[in-house]
Amino acid sequence: MNGGARIAGTPASRSSEMLLLFSLSGETFGITVSNVSEVLDPIPPTEIPNADPFAAAVVNVRGAIVPLIDIRRRLRIRVTTEDGDTRIVVLDLPIGGVPTKIAMIADAVTKVIETDLGALEPIPELGARWPKKFVEGVARHDGDLVVLLDPQTLFDPDEPTAPDMQETTT
Amino acid sequence: MSDTATTMFVQEARDLLEGLEDMLLDLEADPRPEKVDAVFRALHTIKGSGAMFGFDDLSQFTHHFEDAFDKVREGRLAVDGRLVDLSLRARDLMRSLLEDAEGARTREAEARAVLIRATADLTGPGTQADRATSAQAAAPPKEATRFDIFFRPAPDDLINGMRPDLLIEEIGALGPISVALDLGRVPPLDDLDPTRCWLGWHMSLTTSQGEDALRDVFIFADEAELTITPHTAMAAPEPDSPAPDDPAPARDAAVTRGGGSIRVESQRLDDMMDRLGELVIVQARLDQISRRIGDPMLETVVEEIDRLVTGLRDTTLSTRMLPIEMVFGKFRRVVRDLSGELEKTVALVTEGGETEIDKSVIDKLSEPLVHMIRNAIDHGIDDAETRRKAGKPAGGTVRLSATQEGGEVLITIADDGRGLDADAIRARAVERGLIEEAAVLSEAELHQLIFAPGFSTAKELTSISGRGVGMDAVKTTVDALRGQIQVASTAGRGTAITLRLPVSLAIIDGLLVRLGDAVYVIPLSSVEECVELDLAERHRESGRTMLQIRETLVPFLDLADIFNQPASTEPRRRVVIVRADGARLGLVVDDILGQNQTVIKTLSVFHRDVAGFAGATILGDGAVALILDVAVMIRTALEARDTPSVRLRRQAR
Repeated sequence: MNGGARIAGTPASRSSEMLLLFSLSGETFGITVSNVSEVLDPIPPTEIPNADPFAAAVVNVRGAIVPLIDIRRRLRIRVTTEDGDTRIVVLDLPIGGVPTKIAMIADAVTKVIETDLGALEPIPELGARWPKKFVEGVARHDGDLVVLLDPQTLFDPDEPTAPDMQETTT
Repeated sequence: MSDTATTMFVQEARDLLEGLEDMLLDLEADPRPEKVDAVFRALHTIKGSGAMFGFDDLSQFTHHFEDAFDKVREGRLAVDGRLVDLSLRARDLMRSLLEDAEGARTREAEARAVLIRATADLTGPGTQADRATSAQAAAPPKEATRFDIFFRPAPDDLINGMRPDLLIEEIGALGPISVALDLGRVPPLDDLDPTRCWLGWHMSLTTSQGEDALRDVFIFADEAELTITPHTAMAAPEPDSPAPDDPAPARDAAVTRGGGSIRVESQRLDDMMDRLGELVIVQARLDQISRRIGDPMLETVVEEIDRLVTGLRDTTLSTRMLPIEMVFGKFRRVVRDLSGELEKTVALVTEGGETEIDKSVIDKLSEPLVHMIRNAIDHGIDDAETRRKAGKPAGGTVRLSATQEGGEVLITIADDGRGLDADAIRARAVERGLIEEAAVLSEAELHQLIFAPGFSTAKELTSISGRGVGMDAVKTTVDALRGQIQVASTAGRGTAITLRLPVSLAIIDGLLVRLGDAVYVIPLSSVEECVELDLAERHRESGRTMLQIRETLVPFLDLADIFNQPASTEPRRRVVIVRADGARLGLVVDDILGQNQTVIKTLSVFHRDVAGFAGATILGDGAVALILDVAVMIRTALEARDTPSVRLRRQAR
């Protein structure tokens, strides 16, 4: 059931970087491909009672118990229930010096692009709804804005969770 | 000489020194000749092989103690506390000479000289001279006997570092000797492997020494062929010599050769355990798939695999099992040293040393047990005067026992001291802000307070127990091993502290329970019983709802409340009665699904501050189930006893 595609890729050169693009509540985000281990179809989660809503559950990824993380809780994006193309992006990140697997929820995974890191723009002061520290910058792709996330701050386990966002159920 | 051989020597010498400590302590209690011989043999082996492997300092130092025990063997020196004291210290020094030859040589040269002098004082003049001459000078001359000796090293002995020339030299020092070489086994040159030994020696020795002295020379050539035939009319063995098959050499052989056992790096055992854990999970999945398909042929194979995996699991677990005697042994020394230091007479009694427990548990047990023993002797057992006034024997007893009970090993440290002073504990706990002045606590709850961080009721700090790490360190270690601590104490009669530890850390037996759609695992070792909620009578007591389980009232909590979930609407619910740290609690769940073998996986850094879970496991259908940490649940329930809604608090790290 976990028939996901493995994504292989290394940065093509120093200044250009392969990004995996995914969407969350209508916004497009990017994360460097070198952090991505695989993309999977949804896995039934096991909720951890009383856990931080940012990491509310765990999932079984090929025999490993991996935290399931909803980055919308940190980016202050409303959580909408969509019956779309939900995917789980499995990341391999060093956290506190320890290689750690993380499963991140994405509404959809769109594509892999190559982008010039030199051309990153800072996020605009106005209308920046997400906390700046989680964002490395904004890139333009096909006329759209792609928000490049900083995995080291975004997945910092010691980061306090923002006050609860009201869940919208439509 | 290869490094491997040296490593092997160091390992064997370590084992010998480990054993030597036990032997010396045994000797003090019961100085039978066999035990003296056992000590002498151990010293002799260390001296001999030490010189062979270039540990000259160790060898020379050991020589002095071998001398002393030679005198004991000959009945010219009595075993007393002073000798055992000195020997224990010498044994420690030998250990450091073995581990760190260079460092110890310079650092402990003085200590060595002091010990050698002290030994010389004890054994009388002439000790430092050659052993044979001193023996001749002091002992009444025995009639000389002629021995025919045949000695043929095992083929591998040379590779392992044996020096037959040194052995022959040593035996030659015992008296006039003639040696003839036996070349009968030497193969044709084409087949000759020069690293193997093909030679044998016929020797004819006339000596006043007994046959044992001869055999001692060859003591570490234990794979060699050796025959010693006493000649003349006095061919019969000396009547006072120990039987040749006395148990001591057999024990030596067991320690050094392992009687068909091998040494394995513990990391490899850990790896094996990890693989097995994966296998158990996959096997559970296979089982489920096979049941869904319902093919009889598949089912037969799956059953077979099931049987094999179970066997493999038991075998693998058993390879990691070690007798708890391995840690118990160390404490005899601790108790002996401490009772000397505190001038209290304390005897250590150990029981159930053969009880087996996982190596990873044993490795972590030593420190907390030492601490508890120190506490028992320092704070528990009074001085002889006070004890006499209380009508007790002047000498105290610390009893260390182990038994297995289901999947748990119970280790109890009991002393016959003054017992815990409940009032002093309460006063100190209030002073430290651990409890409210008006708090109503049961005796068991009061006793648990001694494990609170920073708690100590000793009036003044002593070098023994008052070093900042209190019983809370013990508690932390035991918690980390997923164990529990129970305290039983009677004022004036003594204290017994029992550690309940899982036999194995990697795999536990779990009880699967359901709450809503979620499945949780409760470690079976903390489950006392399960009852139907509707059938149990409910009582109210000081604002709490209690369940009546037969004669006793047990507080209970709804798991749905603890987990902040909507109240269950299931009509027939059940209560699992769990026990931890001497307290009981009922956990209300929707259903009980059964038991299973559970491979424990730890939760990630993102969930480390969520209280109430000991880890997680993967079920047969691939779903993740959380494993409840019963001790934390009970603690939280007790803390929150006065608040109407009980929620697990997020713990600060």
